[in-house]
Amino acid sequence: MADFNVSTREVGSIKIIDLKGYLDAHTAPDLEREFNKLIDSHNYKVVVNFDELKYISSAGLGVFMAYVETMRENSGDIKFSNMQNDVFNIFDLLGFPVLYEFFKDETEAVNKFNQTERS
Amino acid sequence: MNLPFNDLISQRKLEFTIFSVVLILIFKIVFPLQTELIVIAINEIIVFSVIYFGFLTSSNYTQLKKTSPISLVVNAGILNAILFFLTAISSSLFDAIPKLSSSVNLIYTFFSIMITLIFIASIAYIFSVFRELYFLRVKTESQKLYDSMIIFFTLAFFSAMIPDTEENPNFIALTFFVVSIILISLNSFRVSWIAFLPKKQKLYILLISTVLSTLFSLNFALSFDESFLNQLLVNFSPGLHLLYRTIMIYGAIYCGIIFFTSLFHLPTAEAFDRKAEEASSLMDLSKLITQVFDFRELADTITSLTAKVCNSDSAWLVTMDKEQLKLSSVSNIGFVEANEITNIFASEGILSAEQFIVFNKKQVKIHIKNDIRTFDFSALAVSPLKVHNENKGFLFAARKENFGFDEDEKKSIEAFADYAAVALENAKLIEESIEKERLTSELNVAREIQYKILPNETPSCETLDVSAFFIPAYEVGGDYYDFFQLDNNKLGFVIADVSGKGISAAFIMAEVKGIFESLSKLIESPKELLIKANKILSGSLEKKSFVTAVYGVVDKNSGKLSFARAGHMPIYLCRGTKAQQIIPGGIGLGLNFDETFDETLKEETIYLENDDLIVLYTDGITEAKNVKFEEFGYERLEKILCSGNFRNIEDLKDKIINKISSFTDGNSQYDDITLVLLKWKSNNKPSGVN
Repeated sequence: MADFNVSTREVGSIKIIDLKGYLDAHTAPDLEREFNKLIDSHNYKVVVNFDELKYISSAGLGVFMAYVETMRENSGDIKFSNMQNDVFNIFDLLGFPVLYEFFKDETEAVNKFNQTERS
Repeated sequence: MNLPFNDLISQRKLEFTIFSVVLILIFKIVFPLQTELIVIAINEIIVFSVIYFGFLTSSNYTQLKKTSPISLVVNAGILNAILFFLTAISSSLFDAIPKLSSSVNLIYTFFSIMITLIFIASIAYIFSVFRELYFLRVKTESQKLYDSMIIFFTLAFFSAMIPDTEENPNFIALTFFVVSIILISLNSFRVSWIAFLPKKQKLYILLISTVLSTLFSLNFALSFDESFLNQLLVNFSPGLHLLYRTIMIYGAIYCGIIFFTSLFHLPTAEAFDRKAEEASSLMDLSKLITQVFDFRELADTITSLTAKVCNSDSAWLVTMDKEQLKLSSVSNIGFVEANEITNIFASEGILSAEQFIVFNKKQVKIHIKNDIRTFDFSALAVSPLKVHNENKGFLFAARKENFGFDEDEKKSIEAFADYAAVALENAKLIEESIEKERLTSELNVAREIQYKILPNETPSCETLDVSAFFIPAYEVGGDYYDFFQLDNNKLGFVIADVSGKGISAAFIMAEVKGIFESLSKLIESPKELLIKANKILSGSLEKKSFVTAVYGVVDKNSGKLSFARAGHMPIYLCRGTKAQQIIPGGIGLGLNFDETFDETLKEETIYLENDDLIVLYTDGITEAKNVKFEEFGYERLEKILCSGNFRNIEDLKDKIINKISSFTDGNSQYDDITLVLLKWKSNNKPSGVN
């Protein structure tokens, strides 16, 4: 299948994971590795940028479910941003918006993190 | 040489030998002194046949020792020494008998026969030894030269009976004898077998050949003496005496040449030994590669052979997996030490994936715990393991003393590295194929579970047409649908999609089936049922797994349909030519286990009208992809549903299948495809009237 790419950047104290291509059962381990690295380095505030993600399968969704608890327990979170409509529809049907925060733009998500820190 | 009656002779060598010995015994007793030419001629023929058969018989034994030329030479040497001993003893004990004719009696005859038989046996044996040595490791055609030598031996043998006096010397025999010697000299250069002896044996043969050529020369010289023994031999058979002389000179020349050859081969013996060892170990290794699939075992062989063949003190093999160096095998060096040295090399960036590197004088300091150890290598070679231009690791060979590696040693280190690379690749491929096999069998198990879980038939009744189809993906996707006959003429139905794939998805599916099957009997409300299902699943689902589902109940009498959706795909209600998506709130099972799930979940109720169609499906349909990676999507599905271009739901089902398969057109199916169709046929009215 088509490629998948995951990379991490930093905006202040918040980590941004950029996803690119197709996230399915075969590429999900790459994303898991990225999350494991963040947890190992005690980074619990994560924004996942979906700007270039074309497709996500149930196994891909499972990755966020597997890590969100750890993040929240350590007063962090996983927030989603820049999602294309069809990808958002998948999240929406599953009811993710009830459980996770979605933002149109990455900076909004970052700001949200910073706000909660200040308050 | 091909002689007549070869088969018969080769089968009955010993019998012929004994027969001819008996013959000569009788002949000698009858004619103790031979003066007439015809008697001598017969005598010579019999003696020749004794020698000939004796030679054939002893060839039997010498052939067995073909593989150890040294022992052949030693055997010849012992016989030779016996002959010398006999000659020496007899000349010191007896004088030549001046007048032979008067002193010949029965005792003399027996004595002469005994002595001569010893000579004949020795000559035959020595000659067969030479013959074996001659044909040892001979590659080129040399039979003719050898055959002509034998012919001249024979000619010399028979011409020896011509009387030889001072005034009338036997020139014929002399000529044949001289030609024989020339041919002997030519034939004696066949000593290539010496080159293949190990150094130790070369030294040994050097020593033996010195003694032997001296003995042969002495025997040859003594055969000209006017001694009792010579007289006895000549009297017995002049040809035998000449042949004895010939064999002795043959031995002297041959052993002389052996001496010089082994002497000249001595300086290169060590290199030759090493080459031979390298060749044989490479051969062993290539055998191992095809036979042993365990890479560790191979790695051990490779390192120990590298250390041995390249005269290095230690060798170790490092493999590279995902840019990570891993020490696989060590020979003559500690595991920790080798690991540390490798790490130091890696951190210094000297390990090159492209080049074979050799250091002369390299000092490495390693830290083990609080201890600093210094390794002073006089030579250290690192060869990358390359397969298809990809580096798989490194082979190290290190020497602590003496000099650096020479060209040959470097080459063999590289050769071993190549072998290691191939072995590594082999082991990897085998591992992959085993893994693939395991996956395939796992897939089969998963698929079997899935088929057993899905219902065999769809329940239809007067008021409700039900149709379902399911196409499994290569990797089981975890789709599930089912129907439950409930009390009060109600039908429960479920469609679910377990996240993930393969055997883990299949197991969750089995659990989900159990939950729905039992809960459908207990809880009537779809919403309550799903909430309960979520609670049950909370105890068993992995964090990253979830299940989307739609559960509904239809009253077959009233057409009242109530259902709830837990994160599943939208439900279609087709009424007339309109297909309407219904998406009641609800999150997937397993996503959340507290009140949020319960609060979000909404139950929908619809009163079905005649010809209403309810369509349930999994994302395998909407996400079916064509070669351009476009998705089948909702629109294409809706278009078929709204077309009204179908006679009944079976027909509709076939149309949807055809549409999907023509859309994907050969592109492989990534996920299970499930479709469930429910068509309401208005109360008591036969279908088709409206």
